This record gives sequence, structure tokens and C-alpha cells, in this order.
Amino acid sequence: MAAVEELKDFINHLIKAKKNIRLYPENNPVYMKTLEEIYSYLKNLLEEEEDLVFHIKQFEILHDGEVIYKNEDKDESLALFFFKDGIRELRFKKGIPLDEVEDFLKIISTDFERQMVDDDIVTLMWERDFQYIQYVVDDTILIEDETYEEEAVRQVKKAVSGADVLKAYQEAFGIEKPSEVSIVPLTNEDIKNIVQQIEEEDEDKSLKLIHLLFEMLFYASGKGEYEELVRYIKETFNYAIGRGNIETVIYGLEKLRQSLQERIYPPEINSLLKGVEYYINSSQFIRLFGETLDAGVEFEEKDLYRLASLMSKESIPHLIAILGELQNISSRKTVIRILTEIGKKDLSLLAKGLHDRRWYVVRNIIYIMRQIGNRRIIDYITPLIRHPDKRVKKEVLSALGELGSAGTVQLLKDCLYDEDETVRITAVRSIGMLDSPLSKKVILETIQDKRFKDRSVAEKKEFFKVLSRWRDTDTVDYLISLLKRRSFFRKTRVEEMKAMAAYALGLIGAKEAKELLEKYRNSKNPLLRENIEFALTRIKNDVG
Amino acid sequence: MMWDDKGEEYIKESQHLINQLAVLIRTCLIHSTENVAVLKAIERFLEIIHSFLQENESLRIDLIGEFFYINETRVKYPLEYLLNFDYLSREFRRRELGTVVFYPNVTKEAIKTFISAFIKSGYSNTPYESLEAYLEKTDSIHIERLKKIQEEGEIDRRRIVKKTYFNAVSFTRGVMNKLRAGEKVSIKKAKRIIESMVDMILQEEPLLIGMTAIKDYDDYTYHHSVNVSILSIAIGQKIGLHKKALTELGLVALFHDIGKMEIPKEILNKPTPFTEEEWQIVRRHPYWGARTILKLKGLEKSSILGAIVAFEHHMYYDHSGYPKVREPKALDFYSRIVAIADQYDAMTSSRVYARVPLPPDKALSVMMERAGTQIDPVLFKFFVNMVGVYPVGSLVLLDTKEMGLVYECNPLFADRPRVMIIVDSRGNKIDGYIVDLTEKDDSGRYIRSIVKTLDPNRYKVNLAEYLL
Ligand SMILES: [Fe+2]
Ligand SMILES: [Fe+2]
Repeated sequence: MAAVEELKDFINHLIKAKKNIRLYPENNPVYMKTLEEIYSYLKNLLEEEEDLVFHIKQFEILHDGEVIYKNEDKDESLALFFFKDGIRELRFKKGIPLDEVEDFLKIISTDFERQMVDDDIVTLMWERDFQYIQYVVDDTILIEDETYEEEAVRQVKKAVSGADVLKAYQEAFGIEKPSEVSIVPLTNEDIKNIVQQIEEEDEDKSLKLIHLLFEMLFYASGKGEYEELVRYIKETFNYAIGRGNIETVIYGLEKLRQSLQERIYPPEINSLLKGVEYYINSSQFIRLFGETLDAGVEFEEKDLYRLASLMSKESIPHLIAILGELQNISSRKTVIRILTEIGKKDLSLLAKGLHDRRWYVVRNIIYIMRQIGNRRIIDYITPLIRHPDKRVKKEVLSALGELGSAGTVQLLKDCLYDEDETVRITAVRSIGMLDSPLSKKVILETIQDKRFKDRSVAEKKEFFKVLSRWRDTDTVDYLISLLKRRSFFRKTRVEEMKAMAAYALGLIGAKEAKELLEKYRNSKNPLLRENIEFALTRIKNDVG
Repeated sequence: MMWDDKGEEYIKESQHLINQLAVLIRTCLIHSTENVAVLKAIERFLEIIHSFLQENESLRIDLIGEFFYINETRVKYPLEYLLNFDYLSREFRRRELGTVVFYPNVTKEAIKTFISAFIKSGYSNTPYESLEAYLEKTDSIHIERLKKIQEEGEIDRRRIVKKTYFNAVSFTRGVMNKLRAGEKVSIKKAKRIIESMVDMILQEEPLLIGMTAIKDYDDYTYHHSVNVSILSIAIGQKIGLHKKALTELGLVALFHDIGKMEIPKEILNKPTPFTEEEWQIVRRHPYWGARTILKLKGLEKSSILGAIVAFEHHMYYDHSGYPKVREPKALDFYSRIVAIADQYDAMTSSRVYARVPLPPDKALSVMMERAGTQIDPVLFKFFVNMVGVYPVGSLVLLDTKEMGLVYECNPLFADRPRVMIIVDSRGNKIDGYIVDLTEKDDSGRYIRSIVKTLDPNRYKVNLAEYLL
């Protein structure tokens, strides 16, 4: 028999555990320690007895007739906590496994006040179906009307009081034997069929509900009922999107569109339905969508595309708004994909996002515009070339490189002298992509500028790489002249330029420079040697 | 195998054990005990036995009621093994075998002896005694006779079942009244009540189903709701839904006719058939029901399911019922279950749609004709296997010239239920006592069999007098 002190101690720990399990996540050390503690308490107590039984009174918990806990505080009392749902006895059996202890603790630490649950402790314990925890429940708390049973029995007995058993018996011999229902035994096929149906049951039946709500509209009469049903349609959208069930929303919207087109409902219903159609573009709905995304729900590409095609341009500002608020990169990517679709419907609305105070929103919008690929965006994004954030600037440069025309080079020129190296590199790449005579001119000018030598090798290499796009004799001659340059002062700098020239000649595959390149094969400068080697290999392979 | 954690794995292993025993017996019926298939089955069976014996001094298999117990823990009913479980419990019963205990010294040879004894005893007129004789020298296996459920305890069980049933009805009446008055309704309480019914069905299914056979209440609507809930849960249990799903099913079944609240009582409780106008009103109750449920609970899992079932329960499997819809979609799985329970209860009572009630066996044969058109054929098959050829409440004449009411169906012998005898063979009315139609005399012949069925409503004879 367990000592009273031990049991009191156990109850105190149970009370502590009830709080800890609620407060800490499963992987937290406090959670794990709490669980292990209760488990080992139970194990110890069950060493001595087969079953550990607690009797529950309103404010007291008893073991073997002895009070081991007493608390009359309505909010705090553990006894009352069990008592109020009808539990009168709790029994832990020997051999109780850890997972049952854990689930028991989880159940008693449910915040029944805060979480809007339709379950009480008894329901939760019942559903869990413990093998090693038993409880006795007093169901009289469920009794609605104590007199009902008596009354109903009286009614029935009165109704059957005219029973004529003997008449039935006499007539029984006269009647013919009726045909019977033949029992078809269940086959494995039947069982497989049912198992499959049970497995395919949807957790979320909102799609069917939407379907039926549209059918119910045919039975509705009067404004009140119309409004009620259409409100349920809207709420089903919220319900579904909150659970990541985008199929329901798409199905509902398609159904809605179709019914509006075919005018199958009276005009009053149509105008209400238009409200729902508009609703999915609202800030409220889009925010719900965003919350679902941030909760980690992922959607299929084709569904997102479908949803985007059903949304209208009114959604653009709200989508931009959540773009700035979402926590996860993957959720932002999803919104970007949707905006890429919807943005096409109104570039000027999309462009409003370019004035957002958050640099990443601006950059995302430019990225979206790049994906859309319409030349009209140049006008919107060009002013942002002077945006204070270099990440935005680079996105603009890339976009202009892809979509700009020869005239754009003039705009990008200044960026070749930006204070940030990565901006300068992006600029030179974009200028290269624009591929106009002016591009080449601007790049050559920059390389020849006296400030150029002070730039890093990596940056220089980018410039020469871009320059190598032009394979004309002019370029080759220029590069050869660089390679021939002699160096007395600042030898390293000059040799760096020679190395770059060799690199570019290699990229071009200029055979005419082969002889000259070979001269430097044994240069003491490793950078030069390395690039000479690169160039010679390229030229040789080109010929071969 | 060790089970530090007697969770899933233990449950699975228990199911395997029962299944493997059935497999073993069936294999032995086809092959000799030296056949490879038999030897393999024995080896597998021994393996499972030994994994249990590592933890316990002995392995005890009991058949109590409809369920097997292993070392006093009930084995959950696995759908994939349903046929084998049914087979094994039938064979145990045939031999009046209730318990088999295996001890650690059990060998392959002992198992062989047991299996052949089991099979041979099946041909004996006194199967249990011959089984006992065959096993006399086998000390590693011990058997016990099947215990008859005691009559005394039965009165107590009946009292609890009645309490659960009437409480559910009065709760339902309370819910409807509250809704009419525009008051709030507690779903917590509804759930608890359904849970107590699910428990009853797991333990006392025949008795609770017996309660659904009594129809003569003044306000039948509430009883109908509870009956449909009970029958739906029973179907759900038969097809292997887990406890939580059974509660959901029971809950939506309880509320399937909630839309009838809107039908004027004069129409609803009218003794004569409905006029066309009245029918038009009655046919709106699925529409009203779906709306009421959504209004009651807002949108969440159980109200969505409830609204779907309320709207679809009269649509019929082939959409030939009502309400008619523009774009028919397959009925929800739960709607199809509730529809079967609903049709059966409605047909066998006089008050649901103001028509003449059918005797239970007639109702079943009408439904049989509808299987595949108005009714889901596969689910109906499960239903018939559950209620039997002569459902509870059927009035039957026996070959012994006794007359009785079917009291409990026997899931293993669809045409051999337990019957309450109300008229003896000399034609005297007597206080009901219960007989089991599977009982045999010394020569192995059934003592009693059903020869005819009568319409209990015609003579106002029903179980009420005896059950309540
Ligand atoms: Fe109905
Ligand atoms: Fe009904």
C-alpha cells in the first residue's frame, strides 16, 4: 500500500504537470522532464499495488478512504476539475505505457475555457480509449428529464394494452409461409469495398457543402434566406482556405461564375453572389489566405494558377500588402506566383507596390514585373534606379537589361560608377545584355578610365567577360594592345589588366593572339599565367 | 518480442493471434496435419504464442459475448479480419468452447493435437465433451466451457440500457424544444450522450437495438431520431468505424430530421395520409434541417457533416428521392448509412410518415428490392447481416407450435435469433422467457426453428410489454 505522503506528492506533481504540459512544446526539456517524472511516479506507485485507484469527490480526492487532496477553490481544484464532468473514479493499471501517460497529461492540460472545444474531459478520455487508465463516470449529470422514462413507458403500455396475443396465435396457423429475405453473406470483396470507402473519406467536406449550398439556393425563398445561404457560401470559403483546401474555393468560384453567366438564379441572388465573387479579392480573405500560407500549407501549381485566374485585379493591393507581412519565404514565393498572374491584369495597380516603404516588397514587385515581361514596365521601374537600397537597384538593373532597348544603356551608364561593386557588376551585365553599339562603347570607356585599375579582380573579370561578347577585330585589337603594354611602374596592376585581356581573348577564341599569348606562358605573375593558360586551352580546343 | 509499450503493436499482435488461429483451423480442414501449409501455419501460430508467453505465465483466449479477450484484454475488432473473426467465434460456439489457455511448455505436437481435436469435435453431438476427451493428455493446453450470460445480470443490464435510451430521447426532445424557443443547445452534452450509446452498442448491441423495435410512443419523432442514431452507430460499428467516427455518425444521425421542427405538429402527427400540399411541406425538412444545423453551430467539421446528412438523407442512392438537385453528386458515405437506418425505422413505425407500419421482416424485404437503386447495396448487405432475417420485434411461430417475439438477433446465425416465447405449445399465453434458436438436442438437431412470421402491429403485440 502506497504511503499517504507519496500519494499527496504524486497529486501535487500532477497539478504541476497539468500546467507545464500546457505551457511547453513537446520538444522542450521542461515538457520532457515533467512527463518522465509523472511516468516514474506512477511506475513506483504501481510497484506496490496492481491498480492505483482515486475516488473523486467535489473538492476532494481520496485513496483507500483517505483524503489525499482537498481544495475548494473553483478555478484551482483538481478534484472539481474531474468532478464537474462526472468523473467519480480514476484507475491507473500496472504496466501503463509512456504514451498513455503523455496523452492523459495532454487531456487534463487542455485549456477548456480558452479553446472553443465541444469536448469535455470525459469525451477526450473516451475518444483516446485508454487501455491502462479507467474511469467511472456518473452519467446522471446528463439526465435531462428524470420523469421522461416513466411517462414514455406508461404511454407505450397503454397503447399495447389491447394486444391480442391469442388471436394472433390462432390465425398464425392459417396464414401462408411468407417468402424470406435471403441473407447474402459478406464477401472479402464487400469488405475491401467498405475499407476503401472509409479510407477515402475526406476530413474536410466543405466542397460537398458548397455544392449543396448552391442547390439549396433553388429552395430558398425571400431575401432573408438568400442572404443566409450566400453568407454560408462565403463562410465556407473562409473555412476551406483556413484549412488549406483551395479546391473548395476554386470549385465554389467556378460554380458561382457559371451560375451568374447562365442566370439560373433570380436577380436578387445574383447580386448577393457577386458580393461573394468580389469577397475573394478582399483584404479579409487574402489575409486568411496569407495566414494559411504562413502556417506551412503548400499548394499545387495548377491550383494556384486556377485561383489566380479567378481573382480580379482588385486583389492586387491586398496581395502586395500580405507580401510585406508574410514570415516564410515559401509563402512569399506563392504570393509572388499569384501576383505574376493577376498583375498582368493591371500593371499600374501592381506598380503601386513600387512605392512601398519595405525594400523587399519593392524588389519582389520588380521581380514579378520581370516575370510578366511586358516592356511597359520600363517606365515604372526606371526611376527606381536611384533607390537607396542596392538590392532594389540591382533588381531594376536586371529588369532593364532584360526588357530595355538601346536607349536604356544611357540610363544604366552611371551605375557603372556606383559606389557598390555588386551594383556595378549587375549594371555591366545588363548593359551587355542590351547589346547595342553604345553598350560596347560605354564599357570600353569605363575600362579605359583611370579609376578602373583600382577595382577588384573579380569585377574586372566581369567587365572583360561582358566585353568578350563583341568578337569583332576592334575588340580583339584593343585586347591585344592591352596585352602588349609594357610595365615599369605599378607592375602588378598592369599585369592584372594583361591577365584580363588574355581571359577575354580566350573567351572570344582569338587565334590571331595565340603567338602573343604564348610569350607570357612563363610569366612570374600567377594570375597572368593562369589566364594565359586558360586562353591558350580555349583557342586550341576551338581550332581542334 | 518485448512490449515495453503495450500500444499499437500489442493490439495488432492480439489480432494476429486470433486471425492466425482461424487460418490454422481452416488450413487443417483442407490439408492433412503434415502438409507444408499446415506446418507453416502452426509455426507462425507458435511464434505469436511465444511472444505473448515471454511477458506472461500463460496465454488465455476467452470468447465473451461477441468478443475475444486475450489475457483479459478485449481484442479490437479489425475489419480486415472480420470474416476470420466471425468464423472462429462461430466455431467456438458450435463446440461450446469459451476459453483456451496455452502454457509455456506448448509444442508443435500439442498444437497439432489441439487442432485435430477441434476439427473432430465439430462432428460430435456433444462437441465440448469430446474436445475435452481428445485433449485429456495434453497438459500444455487447457480449455473451459463457454459461459452462458447469466439471466440475473440481464435484468440489471436491461435497466442500464433503458436508462441510456430514454435519456437520449428526452435529451433530443429538450434540444428540439430549445431550438424552437431559439435557445442555445449544448453540443458537449449531445456528444456525451452519443458516447454512452456507442459504449452500449459495443457491449449490449442486441438489447439497445431491441429498444428501437418499440414504436408506440406518443411523440415518436424524438424516438425516431434516437433509433436512427442507434441503428446508424450499429452499422458503423459493423463496418469497422473507430470510436470517434462512430460518435460523429451518431451525432449527425440524431439530428437528421431536425428540419421537421418547422413542420406544423398537426401535419407531422396526423394519423391519415398526407395530402399533396402537406407532402410539399414535409419534403422541405431536409432543406430546413441543413440550415438549422449550420445556424446552430456555425461552420465546423461536425456541423458541415450534419448539414450534408440532413439535406441528403431522403435523396436516395440513385437520386430518385427528394430534394431534387440540379447537379447530382454521389451521396456522402454517412448520408448513405443514415438513410438505411432512417428508412428501416420509418417503415416499421406508423408515425414517421403516417402510413401503415410494416413488420420488421417485411420492411427488410422491401428494402432488399431497393438495394442498388434507392439504397447503397454494399452497406445494406452489412445492415442485413446485422439485423438478421428476422429482425428484433418480429412476431414468429415456431415448429414447436410456440409463438414468440424476436428478442436478439444472432450475428452468426442470421435465421436463428433469440426469441421471447409468449404463447406455449398448448396455446397458453405465458410470461415471456427467452430461448436460443441455436440450441440443439442430444441428436444434434435444432430444438426450435421459425416457420412463419406474422404482423405484430395487427395484433398490437410487441416487445414493449416484456422489455420495458
Ligand atoms: Fe427525414
Ligand atoms: Fe427520419
